[in-house]
Amino acid sequence: MATDLVAGARTGPAPAPLPRPPARRRERRGRGLLVAGAFLVPNLVLLGVFTYRPLIDNVRLSFTDWNISSPTATYIGFDNYVEWFTSSASHAVLWNTVVFTAAAVVGSMALGLALALLLDRRLFGRDAVRSLVFAPFVVAGAAVGVAFQFVFDPTFGLVQDLLGRIGVESPAFYQDPDWALFMVTVTYIWKNLGYTFVIYLAALQGRRADLDEAAEIDAASTWTRFRKVTWPQLRPATFFLLITVLLNSFQVFDIIDTMTRGGPLGNGTTTMVYQVYQETFVNQRAGFGATVATVMFLILLVVTLVQVRVMERGQQR
Amino acid sequence: MTASGRRPLLRLTGAAAIAALTLTGCAGTGSADDAGASGDGPVETLTFWSNHPGESKEVETELLEAFEAETGIEVNLVTAGKSYEEVAQKFNAALSGGELPDVVVASDVTWFNFALTDAITPMDELWEAGDVDSEGYVDSLREDYAFEGEHYALPYARSTPLFYYNKAMWSAAGLPDRGPATWDEWAEWAPKLAAANAGIAPMVLPDGSNYLDWYFQGMVWTFGGSYSDEWDMTFTSDETIEAGTFLQDQYRQEHIAVSNDANNQFGAGQAAALMQSTGSLKGLTSAAQFDIGTAFLPGPPPGCPTGGAGLAIPERISDERKEAALQLIEFLTSTDNTVTFSQATGYMPVQKDAVDHPDMKPFLDSNPNFRTALEQLDVTSSQDYARVLLPGGGARIGAGLDRITIGGEDVAKVFGELDEESRTVYERDIEPKL
Repeated sequence: MATDLVAGARTGPAPAPLPRPPARRRERRGRGLLVAGAFLVPNLVLLGVFTYRPLIDNVRLSFTDWNISSPTATYIGFDNYVEWFTSSASHAVLWNTVVFTAAAVVGSMALGLALALLLDRRLFGRDAVRSLVFAPFVVAGAAVGVAFQFVFDPTFGLVQDLLGRIGVESPAFYQDPDWALFMVTVTYIWKNLGYTFVIYLAALQGRRADLDEAAEIDAASTWTRFRKVTWPQLRPATFFLLITVLLNSFQVFDIIDTMTRGGPLGNGTTTMVYQVYQETFVNQRAGFGATVATVMFLILLVVTLVQVRVMERGQQR
Repeated sequence: MTASGRRPLLRLTGAAAIAALTLTGCAGTGSADDAGASGDGPVETLTFWSNHPGESKEVETELLEAFEAETGIEVNLVTAGKSYEEVAQKFNAALSGGELPDVVVASDVTWFNFALTDAITPMDELWEAGDVDSEGYVDSLREDYAFEGEHYALPYARSTPLFYYNKAMWSAAGLPDRGPATWDEWAEWAPKLAAANAGIAPMVLPDGSNYLDWYFQGMVWTFGGSYSDEWDMTFTSDETIEAGTFLQDQYRQEHIAVSNDANNQFGAGQAAALMQSTGSLKGLTSAAQFDIGTAFLPGPPPGCPTGGAGLAIPERISDERKEAALQLIEFLTSTDNTVTFSQATGYMPVQKDAVDHPDMKPFLDSNPNFRTALEQLDVTSSQDYARVLLPGGGARIGAGLDRITIGGEDVAKVFGELDEESRTVYERDIEPKL
């Protein structure tokens, strides 16, 4: 790059001087830079102040022992990281996070796509159903959590009532850690289904109709048409959803807080974000909480980079 | 830089920005420091942060209007959260550089960390200067906020656990109209309740995520055990393990159920008895479709811990504001006003002479269950340090109790781990600051 050019200039023959761009072109480029700066600088400043500064501050705090009520923090090097990586509780929390996120991403995207395909047709009451599917997404997570506490209540809930009709006893949703994690995951998927549905529906409605018609004329089966014609056109939407749903799932807090408070048995449904909260505000260890947040950031950074890379390769093909 | 060289950098920056969005809620240290400074003259307004415990916003507003009429000081009542924990979070955020309140609600498990980090002010000197009768407060409630000879709050919305029972189910089992005097007596009664009332749990307790550790605190004491003796952990004492084993046996024999929503289970007639806060008295009595009896927690005493919240003053506000804040706290917790607050919410009156107040007798006559709660105050004790003063103590013990009940794990093993974890937390987070 720049260094190579300089090195080349030292060792090779002197390059011919470049002709100066005409004054009008220079002026136009200068004006272009000014306009670009006017648009970019405010956003970069906001990004720096509200995104990168907290990030840097968080990383700094992760190397400290800081009681959140105290005005001072003590530098302790990598102690917090050693503790997090060697703690069996953290391993359980990481596992909960992976299971919850994977199930939430796959579940909400698959169901969102299925509903979008269904409601992309001319059906009676289609608009009303679309609104109903989207509505839970705009309801506060805490409200959804409270409502679903009753849905899953093993004594009075809707689920136990439905299971009872076919002679099946309700699982102990609030006492068995596996069922508890299942419960909060289903609740989260239900709440966020509207989001994936709307994005997929928009993508379906923006796809090229002529390709579908051509495939239909060629007598391609429904599955072949979906796989060969529709799905490739949904790739950008899928990529967008993969990133946003994954990030949102990683950060779920309100539903877990209202439904299980991270339990049962201590950390049955504790995910990394919930661990950040517990360590920072319950155990008063804001330095350790910052460590968990930093580890979470690094995991998300790697996952996002991999996703971007995979997407770029897909586009190149 | 070439386009191909820029791309990885842009990719990394973009991905970092996306991933960093997960961290933007985590802020840094700072301080809102006005400690001991002089203000600009007489205090005209105060700010009071509350979560309105026991749905008390209305009565708090009335009391604050009366305070303004009496002193001329206007009070800005701020809803600082819906729970004690949320108020503590907001207060922590303010300590890192925001605007501090003059009076803040501090619960039995949140005040100590603020005291330890000098975030709230010791009140003893202020009491003397302001001529506050600290001896008028119920001793056990006042002493809940004592540490190393200083008091860091005054009692406000104070509660204790209470034994609730379904009178119809009691009658069906042929039991006397009272609570069990001891846990042994409970163990005798439970099979009778189960036999006479098919399909119900003789007793339901809130699970470890809903303060089982608070209800179990009294049970431990009746067995002669404790969570800790000041800072010495005592989870592995024979008596504490015996109490844990008793709880586990009762759970296994289906004499005691553990639930995430114990109030609902009891209120819907799915359990014959419940241990719950006195703060639930009003709600349970009005919601249940059956006669509710109340009793002391099984003894021998002390089998009942105190709980709830007090009022504290931030350390980093001016001396004038501290004096005015104490004036407000004294007003809110005066005999007249604690009686008013108590009757509106179900919390305990915090002044000793409140029981003799002219408004109290007719209220107690028409609310006999409240009388039980009030009389039980005499046999309450302050909670063990391991639960209320150790960071995360309640959640830690609650999870352990879930493990021995729901999880069926060995009591000695779980309590041994609790002992070790609690000691580690003490040595790491508390001892260096003492």
